[in-house]
Amino acid sequence: MNKYLERLVNGIFKENPIFVLMLGMCPTLAVTKSAMNGIGMGLSTAVVLIASNAIIAALRKFIPEKVRIPYFIVVVASMVTIVELLLKAYLRDVYDALGIYIPLIVVNCIIFGRVEAYAAKNSVGVSLFDGIGMGLGFTVALVLIGSFRELLGAGTIFNIRVMPESFEPISIFVQPPGAFLVLALLTALQNKFKLSSATNGTVKKSALACGGDCAHCSVEKFASFHSNVAGSSDKKESVRKED
Amino acid sequence: MLTINLIASDFTAVYSAVLASVNFNDIAVATGVVSILGLVIGLFLGLASRKLEIVVDEKEAKIRELLPGANCGGCGYAGCDACAKAIAEGAASANACPVASHEVHMEIAKVIGGSVEATEKKVAFVNCTGTCDKSKINSAYYGPKDCKLAAGIGGNGSKGCSYGCMGFGSCVKVCAFDAIHIVDGIAVVDREKCTSCGMCVAECPLNLIELVPYRAKTMVACSSHDKGKDVKTVCTIGCIGCKLCEKACEYDAVHVNDNLAKIDYDKCTNCGACVKACPVKVIRQQSA
Amino acid sequence: MKSDYFVNLLLIFISGALINNVILSQFLGICSFLGISNKIKSAIGMGLAVIFVITSSSVICYFIYNYILAPLDLSYLNTIVFIAVIACLVQFVEMVIKKYSPALYNALGVYLPLITTNCAVLGVALLNVEKGYDLVESIVNGFAAALGYTIAIILMAGIRERMAHNDIPKSFQGFPITLITATLMAMAFYGFSGLV
Repeated sequence: MNKYLERLVNGIFKENPIFVLMLGMCPTLAVTKSAMNGIGMGLSTAVVLIASNAIIAALRKFIPEKVRIPYFIVVVASMVTIVELLLKAYLRDVYDALGIYIPLIVVNCIIFGRVEAYAAKNSVGVSLFDGIGMGLGFTVALVLIGSFRELLGAGTIFNIRVMPESFEPISIFVQPPGAFLVLALLTALQNKFKLSSATNGTVKKSALACGGDCAHCSVEKFASFHSNVAGSSDKKESVRKED
Repeated sequence: MLTINLIASDFTAVYSAVLASVNFNDIAVATGVVSILGLVIGLFLGLASRKLEIVVDEKEAKIRELLPGANCGGCGYAGCDACAKAIAEGAASANACPVASHEVHMEIAKVIGGSVEATEKKVAFVNCTGTCDKSKINSAYYGPKDCKLAAGIGGNGSKGCSYGCMGFGSCVKVCAFDAIHIVDGIAVVDREKCTSCGMCVAECPLNLIELVPYRAKTMVACSSHDKGKDVKTVCTIGCIGCKLCEKACEYDAVHVNDNLAKIDYDKCTNCGACVKACPVKVIRQQSA
Repeated sequence: MKSDYFVNLLLIFISGALINNVILSQFLGICSFLGISNKIKSAIGMGLAVIFVITSSSVICYFIYNYILAPLDLSYLNTIVFIAVIACLVQFVEMVIKKYSPALYNALGVYLPLITTNCAVLGVALLNVEKGYDLVESIVNGFAAALGYTIAIILMAGIRERMAHNDIPKSFQGFPITLITATLMAMAFYGFSGLV
């Protein structure tokens, strides 16, 4: 039971497909105009991922090495078609909102990546939970980004008016440039929080008080840490070593 | 008994309802189309791969397998593919790859039929230790943070010493093995990761990096040819050319030419006498 | 009228390349856009490969849809059939290039497997079907979309090459600054919507 739970947590937090692995950018940018769309896309992708993971993990022993890519493609494409038809029949407004991005789940890097990296090598149970974890992680990320964009771009979350009436929606957030901008800010935030983590151990770390980041040092910063700014202007010109 | 009968009849009712609604004709057509398409594609690609097969030199393929595959360019060829081709054709010797270990060289030599003598493992070393707390700056530099560009501009970045490492990291960018980094304003080589491919040596515009034998532990970490008192105005740890090391060495391995000490690694025994003799502590002894 | 037909084609061309730019308006092909656009040279290589694959897949998918899938009422098999055809096409093109032009293969052969899972190729093929274009319109639309992709990726590569030497704040280095560049590019391309 523990390893299943671990897969779940891994997919949502440690290896979140959007925030950490940076896969599946196309649907992220395209459908996060509103939080509702985000949930729709996230759950559809999750269903496809779970089903594909399960099937491929079950049949992994019977796939010859050379034809595994077309094999994966066909399985995933079939699952996507099934989901598409189900959405068309039972959840028509979700189908209309997501439009062309439903068939494009086939070429979503997340699905392909997980299938190749995990389902092809592990048992059905663990792959199933890996699919659930990744799918949920994807959905959570989409909902977060979608809510953010919807809130600032239309003043609503899940179509419920949240911002006060006087709020002038910043409509660029629900349009393509806004999508790029929100993702840029999110990745920058990520980088900021990851900055405190150490790099690999064999690299020497600076022992100096200034931090040793000379590339971003300025004359004033240098002078405040090291009291050795050469002042003499009549220093003899040395011959520089030429090539 | 009655409940089981009821369940059974319910089941058959549902089953026949489902059967009636399913149009087997459609399923057959769909399956047929997809299967035929799959067959056509499979046959097409299979035939195409037969017709468009390229004859690959067996030896070249084996050699390519043995090469490390980092495509660093240290051999002088355009990547590992080109190097494998050259070795297979005889244009390059079996130990053309500086990154591969001696065992790999022997394997490659076996493929082409021959042998290769052992070459000594080398690592890169940056001949400058003027970190920002030891060396002085004499200008505020606002240009592009690239060593080659800064070298073209003149003034050696913001460093006072015109021979010293500027620390903008052009060498870091070309290293394919993550073996060189800028620490405290100068480039430092990670001896364990360095494969002596030589890319950083070629890249440094001030020619500060040289390949030294791995077994060498004593290095003069300075490249300045300035006279002693000029060195002292710009750096507290630069070589002043005092020749105390040359006098201390019993093996005639250190010589001071043009105000700079240099160690002859063929003669050096790592005894450390010069390290003790040096007044500015510019001769370093590596610990491992 | 003949001229109407050509005007129509011109409209499709402009809207495909600029107004509904595959990357900056429709978000297809983002992964490769952010990944390959480091150097202008590789961007050009990728762009050319994409132009070739999208144009030829538009043609083949048009024929398959109109002569096999639609008459047999199997349009729900679109996704599966198109992606299979695209994968086959890319594989075939890779084999041909490898055999007949090793120089071209070194330039852009590496990108060909990446194009198989590129949203742009499948997206354009499906869009052609959705909009019900005939053969010539499909070819024009496909070519225009690929050209738009190439323009965007070369622009991005040019900007990134210049930015490589700039002093970018630590947390914005790498992905974030590229995405901000894409934001500004998307806003610029927004101006094209007034063309039609």
